[in-house]
Amino acid sequence: MSETLVTFAGVVAGYGGGDVLKGVDFEVRPGGVTCIVGPNGSGKSTLLKTVSGLVRPRLGEIHFKGENLVGLSPRDILKKGIVQVPQNHSLFREMTVEQNVELGAFLERDRRVVAQRLATIREMFPIVAERAHDKAGSLSGGQQRLVEFARCLMLEPELVILDEPSMGLDPKTLKVMFGTIRMMRDAGRTILLVEQNARQALKMAERGVVLENGKVRLTGSGMEVLHNPEIGALYLGGSLEEARRPRP
Amino acid sequence: MNATALLSAAKDGILTGAVYALMASGLTLIFGVMDIINLAQGTFVVLAAYLSYALQVHWHIDLFVGLLITTPAMFIIGVVIERVFIARLKGPDRTGMSILVTYAVWLLIEGTLDLVFSSNDVQLQGWYVPKSFTIGAIHFGYIYVAGFLLAALLLGALYFMLYRTRFGVSVRASLADQTSAALVGIDVKRVSTITFGLGAAVTAAGGMIYGATNAFNASSSYDLISRLLTIIVLGGMGSLGGALLAGIVMVFIGDMVGVIWSPIWSTTAYFVVLVLVLLWRPQGLFGKVQARVA
Repeated sequence: MSETLVTFAGVVAGYGGGDVLKGVDFEVRPGGVTCIVGPNGSGKSTLLKTVSGLVRPRLGEIHFKGENLVGLSPRDILKKGIVQVPQNHSLFREMTVEQNVELGAFLERDRRVVAQRLATIREMFPIVAERAHDKAGSLSGGQQRLVEFARCLMLEPELVILDEPSMGLDPKTLKVMFGTIRMMRDAGRTILLVEQNARQALKMAERGVVLENGKVRLTGSGMEVLHNPEIGALYLGGSLEEARRPRP
Repeated sequence: MNATALLSAAKDGILTGAVYALMASGLTLIFGVMDIINLAQGTFVVLAAYLSYALQVHWHIDLFVGLLITTPAMFIIGVVIERVFIARLKGPDRTGMSILVTYAVWLLIEGTLDLVFSSNDVQLQGWYVPKSFTIGAIHFGYIYVAGFLLAALLLGALYFMLYRTRFGVSVRASLADQTSAALVGIDVKRVSTITFGLGAAVTAAGGMIYGATNAFNASSSYDLISRLLTIIVLGGMGSLGGALLAGIVMVFIGDMVGVIWSPIWSTTAYFVVLVLVLLWRPQGLFGKVQARVA
């Protein structure tokens, strides 16, 4: 197996009002969870969007198993086995839970394959069977998030990108959600995770990446990043430079 | 007011309203999927009417048979316009810019039609156009009944396409949230192009019925677009069922006021109803209050 699954090389990207990512370099190894943490506005979500094709980098390259993803459409990137669950709830509220999950396999034209995968997903996520015919919009935020997870697995992806999946969830649902992420990891998926709930996410992650002001400032194992004294400075609103500055 | 006048207004509302709903269905689909306000929809109707006129005058092709040519022709025209003008609109100002761009397309088509066909009024002819039959005391024009049946058939086909086909799933997903649709592998650009083509294609039948029931010229699009826009605002932007109901309500109210009071107030009455409905439901009758995820 290749040493790296995804390689970011000098990625510069933004939305027209200036660059949000200012030269991002790091690697995602296959298997396990890679957790990206950093203060608000550091470019975490933008970075994920560059992988799924929602944002096109202005400079740099993103390689997935050696192939450059830059310039490919979200559809073509999906075909390569990369799925993203975005930050905002992305279920189609007027469609049923089952229709939403089936849409996860939109690119798969063989109905038998879709039916088989749906049966597997129903076992993994009981809510998909229990609420199959309910409109997705009638589910709670946590339930919607689980159905989004279920949907993203319908294509049997290699890389799952999760953008702040815990946003707006209560502590009980949060526990279920982190359990589901572990389940996806144990099933052999590589998870690229952006999470505000950094402490819990880093505990679970094999690898941690700290992003600040559009650049990678720190990488290491999840526990190394978690116990790095400078991390606190970031989450208290400061910067690594401030944390490193000698105190008078 | 007598019962016959009331029934007659109801008949007009249903028969003619369905045709307006068909014309507006393209507008509402285009807005729903693409966030594009297509001001050129009215001129598409007039263009389609002129295409039927040209086929009839130059090749003696029956109006209904001619739809086999004008419908795909309008689809292709729609696709070309989307590719050349609309697909280039990007960013948060896209909807606002679309008003300007589609207005330019409108003027371009209107000017061309004026140049080719002159500004004199014309009307589509067919043996069935002046004929009617009577049930009780109510007269039913053949062309109005045919228009209603055609509109019902095409709206039914659109509904079938939306709710029973793979492409329909793509359209509904794009209607709900373009980013989420893209993330499940839907080619939103392709869906947008085809939707714009379909929006133009439905004006072929609408334009033919319009041209057979009204004298028209290149400038007739001004009256049409104001009607079509009010239909989709009343029905709810993006709602096919809303367009149907609003089309019927628009013609019914206009006729009722014409019968009870005076035809002068027909249009005003409709707009009063529009304002009252919007005060009660700003999103229209079937519109949804939902922030779109960018």
